[in-house]
Amino acid sequence: DSHTQYERVGADVTMKCGSMDWDAAVTWTANGTDIDESHLNGSYLILKNVDLSQSGQYSCYEGSSWHLKYQTYLRVGTPPKEPVLMCRSNNYPKGFYCSWHLPTPTYIPNTFNISVIHGTKDMVCEKDAIPKNRCHIRYLQLFSTVKYKVTLTVTNALGKNYTTLTFDEFAIVKPDPPESVVAKPVPNNPRRLEVSWQNPSSWPDPESFPLKFFLRYRPLILDQWQHVELSDGTSHTITDAYAGKEYIIQVAAKDTDIGTWSDWSVAVHATTWTEEPKHLTTEAQITETTSASTSSFMAPPTTKICDKGAVVGSGAVAVCWTAGLVVAAYSVLFI
Amino acid sequence: MAAADSPSAALRRRDLCSRGIRLAGKMRADVVDLLDAYVEQQGLDASASVAAVEGVPLAAVERWDEQTGTQRLLENLAAYRAFRTLLAQMLEEQREQLGEADAGLGRALAAVLLQVSAFAYHLEELLRLESRGIPGEEEDGPPPPPRLSLFEQKLRGLGVLRELAQWAVRSVRDLRQLAKPSPATGTAPGLAESP
Repeated sequence: DSHTQYERVGADVTMKCGSMDWDAAVTWTANGTDIDESHLNGSYLILKNVDLSQSGQYSCYEGSSWHLKYQTYLRVGTPPKEPVLMCRSNNYPKGFYCSWHLPTPTYIPNTFNISVIHGTKDMVCEKDAIPKNRCHIRYLQLFSTVKYKVTLTVTNALGKNYTTLTFDEFAIVKPDPPESVVAKPVPNNPRRLEVSWQNPSSWPDPESFPLKFFLRYRPLILDQWQHVELSDGTSHTITDAYAGKEYIIQVAAKDTDIGTWSDWSVAVHATTWTEEPKHLTTEAQITETTSASTSSFMAPPTTKICDKGAVVGSGAVAVCWTAGLVVAAYSVLFI
Repeated sequence: MAAADSPSAALRRRDLCSRGIRLAGKMRADVVDLLDAYVEQQGLDASASVAAVEGVPLAAVERWDEQTGTQRLLENLAAYRAFRTLLAQMLEEQREQLGEADAGLGRALAAVLLQVSAFAYHLEELLRLESRGIPGEEEDGPPPPPRLSLFEQKLRGLGVLRELAQWAVRSVRDLRQLAKPSPATGTAPGLAESP
């Protein structure tokens, strides 16, 4: 006969060869490999202080005939520790979900059982197919002061454990982060960045349950964040950015009245507008640009000796001056 | 009086709703502060479960999203009228208990009572706009509560304030629903007479 046997890590295990007598001559194998006689006490197999690596198929054969007399699958594991449970409503007011996991693996199969009670009423938490360790509940009532009590029990062959969460309807409301965050520089405005985003798609009714937002941004090279809280709207223009610097920007969301802030959105990067083009132009191209717009500033030439200040010139010669000498340059041109 | 679905009525409704939302928001913030002060001054445990107190209108509602606009207004009005009476009782009890010893809490209670009255009136305005008759208030009001022990009074007060805080949130949501224009006619959903 064959079956499965569960034992705790560190336990001493004695396996009998089915109905064979203690003094019968037998051979034991573990996963097909013969086991040394030193582990035997008569026909019993003794495994002391078992560890995970000793899980496997154990078989016992009668000495001379090699008939299989007994087979068992040994699974070494641990009883479950207290599970970690979390409940959250990211789709208020439709409902909420709970998800769980074990802090350490047990190495053997576990079953989870969840119960949700609202006051005296039992509610059904429907298990999700994927992921397996999650279930969801629809709110039957809104605006209740009565708390919800969720109990998760985990059971395996070696023991059981449980944990309980008690909370009220408002406390677990936490939207998903805003989506599609986009940040763009503003042409001719070196201190501005335009940021826009969308409500998280999981939030079912942003019109009736509007979200407010929190924006944070900093230049990549600094550690200090700037923060802006926005009571409505899904866009904002930053007006105090440093020119020509790359920024990192994130947005978070919260229901305007209840619950907690979402996690930060995916970070987006944007660099403020500057006059200096990224790619350097040749003199011929500078000439072309000059004839097209005489009043605009021109790009400084390749040598980079210049400031980002004005470069003035018309015609074939482009002269680089610092900002203070611009007026003088103009007068030179008109002589 | 303008017809309930005329453009000017729609504008007035939206205006009343926005103001109502601001009133309810401010009221909620003050009730939350009052709750904290109340719990501390009365020596209560903030997480204590209070069984549903008789006479306190429960904010909890099933199928909230299916309610008509009229239902929302009527239920809100009934609730705030009840809170007006309950808060007045609490204020009375407060004065009896402590006299001048805790003027701060008394003042905060009075301020919330004022806002509750104002909000009830605001709801009546909204009902008038819908050409709805405003339900009369009971002549005698609810019977005076049985004499409670001091501790029972405190627990009751906790229940009243907690439920009021929930109502303030619900009222904001209700008014937002009311303010939504209905896609077909441009009127708020659910405010027409039901057949």
